[in-house]
Amino acid sequence: MSLIDAFSSPNRQYGHINAVLICLSVGMLSAAWLLGVVSVAPNRIVAGTSYGLVTAIGWPGALLVSLLFVAVGGLAIKPSRLHYCAQLCIVTLTLLLMPFGLMVAGHWLIDPTLPQARLGIGAGYWVALFLLLLCLVELRLRLELSRLWTTLLLSSVGAAWLVCAALWLDNLALVQEFQARDKQFYRAMLQHVVLVSIAVSVSVVVGLILAMLMRRYQRLQRVAFALLNFLQTIPSLALFGLLLAPLAWLAANVPFLAQLGVSGIGTTPALIALIAYSLLPMVRNTYIALDEVDSNTLEAAKAMGMRPRQRFWQVRFPLALPILLEGVRITAVQAIGLTAVAALIGAGGLGTFIFQGLGQAAMDMVLLGALPILVLALIVDAGLGALADALRPGGHE
Amino acid sequence: MIELSHVSKHFGEDTAVDDISLHVAKGKFCALVGSSGCGKSTMLRMINRLIEHSSGDIVIDGQAIEHYDLVKLRRRIGYAIQSTGLFPHWTVARNIGLVPRLLKWSSADVKARVEELMCLLGLPMDEFAHKYPHQLSGGQAQRVGVARALAADPDILLMDEPFGALDPITREKLQDELAKLQAQLHKTVVFVTHDMDEALKLADHLVVMREGRVVQQGTPLALLQNPVDPFVESLLGGLERGLKQAALTRVKDHMSSLGQSLPAQSRIPGDFSLRQALSMMLRDHCDRLTVVDQQDMPIGELSLRKVVKEAQLDKVSHREA
Repeated sequence: MSLIDAFSSPNRQYGHINAVLICLSVGMLSAAWLLGVVSVAPNRIVAGTSYGLVTAIGWPGALLVSLLFVAVGGLAIKPSRLHYCAQLCIVTLTLLLMPFGLMVAGHWLIDPTLPQARLGIGAGYWVALFLLLLCLVELRLRLELSRLWTTLLLSSVGAAWLVCAALWLDNLALVQEFQARDKQFYRAMLQHVVLVSIAVSVSVVVGLILAMLMRRYQRLQRVAFALLNFLQTIPSLALFGLLLAPLAWLAANVPFLAQLGVSGIGTTPALIALIAYSLLPMVRNTYIALDEVDSNTLEAAKAMGMRPRQRFWQVRFPLALPILLEGVRITAVQAIGLTAVAALIGAGGLGTFIFQGLGQAAMDMVLLGALPILVLALIVDAGLGALADALRPGGHE
Repeated sequence: MIELSHVSKHFGEDTAVDDISLHVAKGKFCALVGSSGCGKSTMLRMINRLIEHSSGDIVIDGQAIEHYDLVKLRRRIGYAIQSTGLFPHWTVARNIGLVPRLLKWSSADVKARVEELMCLLGLPMDEFAHKYPHQLSGGQAQRVGVARALAADPDILLMDEPFGALDPITREKLQDELAKLQAQLHKTVVFVTHDMDEALKLADHLVVMREGRVVQQGTPLALLQNPVDPFVESLLGGLERGLKQAALTRVKDHMSSLGQSLPAQSRIPGDFSLRQALSMMLRDHCDRLTVVDQQDMPIGELSLRKVVKEAQLDKVSHREA
């Protein structure tokens, strides 16, 4: 038996006991039994009454859920590849079953004579969902699932949830909030995506130019990084506020800019602030990416008689591209979150729902804004991560 | 042909290369040897102007290097380095074809040339052409590096410790292949190494450097026979010097015609070195060997006494000269 075989023996690879999954399993069980899983409210404003697992889905349902969670923990006592595969199936199955639980609870707990009555998702439900996703992360690592498989798995679960929500979950508060303002939702979604896209593409171009200039002029580097670091420390709300006065003045005094749509509030200050925040991660990553290309490779390129421009575009840039894309990824995810705040100065976007919901104490409306932002960030993160992987020099290591 | 006269290089206060003159004739293999930091790499890199020299003249084929177009100069000089400097995002074939493509060869010509070079360096086309550098072993990567340096058929080849990072067996193999290639291609080579055995094995002309200066230069044999100072002598292996010298001499050149006496039992091919002959004598407990040709037919005889005596004669004649 060679050394390599010895290292990949089952025990070495999988260990004796997977404490992570057991803890997660215990956590899920306690969340499901000890916290309220759903709440029922007679209308939008009144706080709901919380219900436990047994009341929500009855004894058979509660036992089924407990059995699934116990199985995840039980299989982790003696881990093997087979067990991990079984756990993956159980976790996926549970994720797929969860909206049906809401359906059952809705059917039992909602009085059909009250048209405003709605079902809220309780803390126990959220915690269990979150822990299930953590299980998925752990299983993905153990089974060395590729990014593609994880994405496929999650998107099929997501699709199943969407179908359930659209067809059968009419009395879920979140769905009701959506149905009350679906046109508004799509417009806000579009605004959000447009704002993020413009901010990120501008900062990619400006960031690349700035990083290249900084490589040439060392003095610029210190000044620019100091300025960008300073910008990053201004709280986003303050920056939006600070931009209000000068932009309003500009719009009032320069008719041309006013025609372009510049004003104290709305899209212009939002974009300026978003770009200002996006520049630091973009410039920093671009600069580091370009700077860290192996000097031996670059010198060889020089010695082979490549001209400076050829060296840059054929060697330095392609070799820097994966780290550069990492910068784009961080910038984009950050911008998706920040754009939510831009709603405060009337730039629109999904943040509108968050602030409206906060104002009306309607938590489900806040969720209507927050959940899509989360999903958007995850999609962009996965997409750009996959792109960076695909562009790694010489395929996969 | 490369001609350096009174070349110096200063980095601020420090002098990296101090008043060096060197002549490398066309088709000759020149090795620069010395401990690290002696300025040998700096000197090499001044030839293709990766580093500009501070004073003196560097002339290639009758023209000072600063009068060449920088890019054109580099494209006609092959360059191979220890870390290979291969582009990690390009396949082997694309790496090798770099300079021909820069010179705007037609893609068919580039392809043919890449194929020719891969064949020459023992890299089967269908196995290696589409691999990336990180998929190669150290030796294979270095072959690709040498192939890339040779791609546009340059007259001049600069090599900076190309085999320095390889294991001894691979290194020796590549040295043998480089020697064979050089016998075939007759490039003008400047080769930097800190491994004296490597230099002795490959070089026509040996330059020993210390602290930016040339301590001694000449043919390997001349240096072995007559080191100018203890530094060169220790670099040449001290007590081992005799054996190293023997390694450079062929059996054929020291054999006498077959005598009347019975031919010796042990046989040695005429192309082997005296060092191998001495080793064989030690192993077989004899002081005579029968020298044979490639068909294993006896062509002469080698005796220990004669080998020792002639080594002495060589030394005497060299002193007189």
